[in-house]
Amino acid sequence: MNSASRMPLAWLGQRVLMMLVTLLAVITLTFALMHAVPGGPFVSEKMLAPEIEAALNAKFGLDQPVWRQYLSYLWGVLQFDLGPSFKYPGVSVNSMIAEGLAVTAQTGLLAIICVVALGVPTGIVAALNRGRWPDTLAMFVASLGIAVPSYVIATVSLYVFALRLGWTPAFGLDDWRGYILPVFALSGFWMSFVARLTRSSLLETMELDYIMTARAKGLPARTVMLRHGLRNSMIPVVTVLGPVVANLLTGSFVIEQIFALPGIGRHFVLSITNRDYTAIMGITIFYAAFLMLMILIVDLLYLWLDPRISYGDRK
Amino acid sequence: MTRAAPSPEMWQPLATNPSALAEGPPPQATRGFWAGVRSRLFRHRPAMAGLVFIIFLVLAAVFGPMASPYSYFEQNLELSNLPPAYRAYTVDADTQVFVNRSNLSLYRVDDQGGLSALLRPDGRDMISRQSTWQIGGKDVVLDYAQRPPVLTIDGEVAQSGGLSLNTRNPFGTDQLGRDVLVRQMYGARISLLVAAAAVLTNFVIGVIYGGISGLLGGRVDAVMMRFVEIVATIPLTLYVILMMVVLQSGLLSVVLAIGTVYWVDMARVVRGQILTLKGQDYVAAARTMGASTSRILFKHLLPNAFGPILVTLTMLIPSAIFIESFMSFIGLGVTPPQASWGTLTSEAVETLRAYPYQLLFPAVAISLTMLAFNFLGDGLRDALDPRLSS
Repeated sequence: MNSASRMPLAWLGQRVLMMLVTLLAVITLTFALMHAVPGGPFVSEKMLAPEIEAALNAKFGLDQPVWRQYLSYLWGVLQFDLGPSFKYPGVSVNSMIAEGLAVTAQTGLLAIICVVALGVPTGIVAALNRGRWPDTLAMFVASLGIAVPSYVIATVSLYVFALRLGWTPAFGLDDWRGYILPVFALSGFWMSFVARLTRSSLLETMELDYIMTARAKGLPARTVMLRHGLRNSMIPVVTVLGPVVANLLTGSFVIEQIFALPGIGRHFVLSITNRDYTAIMGITIFYAAFLMLMILIVDLLYLWLDPRISYGDRK
Repeated sequence: MTRAAPSPEMWQPLATNPSALAEGPPPQATRGFWAGVRSRLFRHRPAMAGLVFIIFLVLAAVFGPMASPYSYFEQNLELSNLPPAYRAYTVDADTQVFVNRSNLSLYRVDDQGGLSALLRPDGRDMISRQSTWQIGGKDVVLDYAQRPPVLTIDGEVAQSGGLSLNTRNPFGTDQLGRDVLVRQMYGARISLLVAAAAVLTNFVIGVIYGGISGLLGGRVDAVMMRFVEIVATIPLTLYVILMMVVLQSGLLSVVLAIGTVYWVDMARVVRGQILTLKGQDYVAAARTMGASTSRILFKHLLPNAFGPILVTLTMLIPSAIFIESFMSFIGLGVTPPQASWGTLTSEAVETLRAYPYQLLFPAVAISLTMLAFNFLGDGLRDALDPRLSS
């Protein structure tokens, strides 16, 4: 059975359709929410002259009826145009996202690499040494990593490593050491989570019959676990990679604020405090689209990893 | 094989004890499911430690602010940024002072060991960077031209005593001179309030939504789950943030925002449980006897799904607490002067260079709380399903 027959285009088409429906729902919801905010976007302590406000409203199309605004916004999104920022003249939401994406993607990618490259081996070592000290130690650290919120990890490590020991810069990404703390704080929770998941999943897989067969052939326990057990026990780990991406994004709100990184998360939080409604809407929609794409990729990865899964002949 | 021959007295009938017979079989003979869960949970040490901590936290949150002489919003700018523990300098037999080297102030240590009064300098020399005090006829000089500043008493460099605890404010004060301990306990109130709100929405919306979806099945289920899928695609944090933009910051808004979306995971879990349970014979039996759908759901299905519901609940509580503190940290949660662990942390970050210990209390409080709920959740899961325990 080749992978094409397991994944007919119908399934992929259905998924993409569902994604578009969800995206439409997200656009509608954010649009409705942003229009439900009391007061217009130009209301501030500085009272604007009515003529200026009217001119601003006309410029951004806010004098039109709501349904027209909605349709023109939707039309813009279809053309990948998220509109202008209300707060920064001449800046488009697209350029804001483009500017922040480089930073967020870099730290996010490094964080994912950390999650996989450190979390999975830790889980394997713990499973190999089940009940002995490496297991106890790893699971203790992992419990801490799951419990301690990312912003606490970030602030405490900022104080210890940047302010106290001076090993890393306290903000910015000017040299490679600047990445260490943000990436660590960002990936701490998921590293721990993946380590625990890998351990329990590996131990569970080791109870299955085919493992017993491998063992009966006389293979050493370590080989059985790493060569036969690992691949199957990775399936739950791949499943959480979708949520990982989602949480790295939301995690970046606070991490980028603490380390003063000019990423999308910081733009998002800033646009919220600035009440920059188009930016809030635009970034939310971007997040939603990005996430759904990631989840789709994870699903495809899943398929490649486990031949038993088939999306095509689902009843 | 030789066996000891039964002695004749073994053939005698036992003395009957009528009262023992009347009591029926010993109560230990059949242990109920929940008794087993309880005993397994009680043997799970981390879970018990977590439970004890949570009980302690609830007590501190409810009674702590009442018992404290201070309120969470009471400011005293003279006594700002005081530490929980300090090293005092002895000026004379009955005067001890504490030097805050970050804001170059002197505080008098009272008889109980609390830092209770700011001593205003009698002279200030901005050029040579010195402040002078006249205390009990002695010249106390703080020379801040040097780093760190040096305190001299009558020309001699003062030696500090051992570390003593600030009895007036056991956790110190913040940058507005508010008592950190009472703010900490108030923060616990907010966290537990959010936890309670999350539990309530999960029970009311999540369980019922998932239950109905699972039980009715078919088209209703498909539509309801599509909706959940759409909601669940976007991280809940994002929704909560959007809700906060609309509702304006504040405690009520946080509770509302969390309540609006935080039932989705629970709905999924309950639906899954109901789907596996509804094919059981006792459901068919109840249906044959004419039980209504709601009776089947509430009397037969949900009680049997209670274990997974409980486990999901204990897993959701820490994430709700985390969301609130996260929101408050980035400035979208509770509004000042209300204190949440998130705002306390972000306030501590502002003064991180000068007073790093201010970060300690909120960071430890939120971490321990999350740890306690996680441990309790793990213990419950293991207790409910002994096969899973490692």
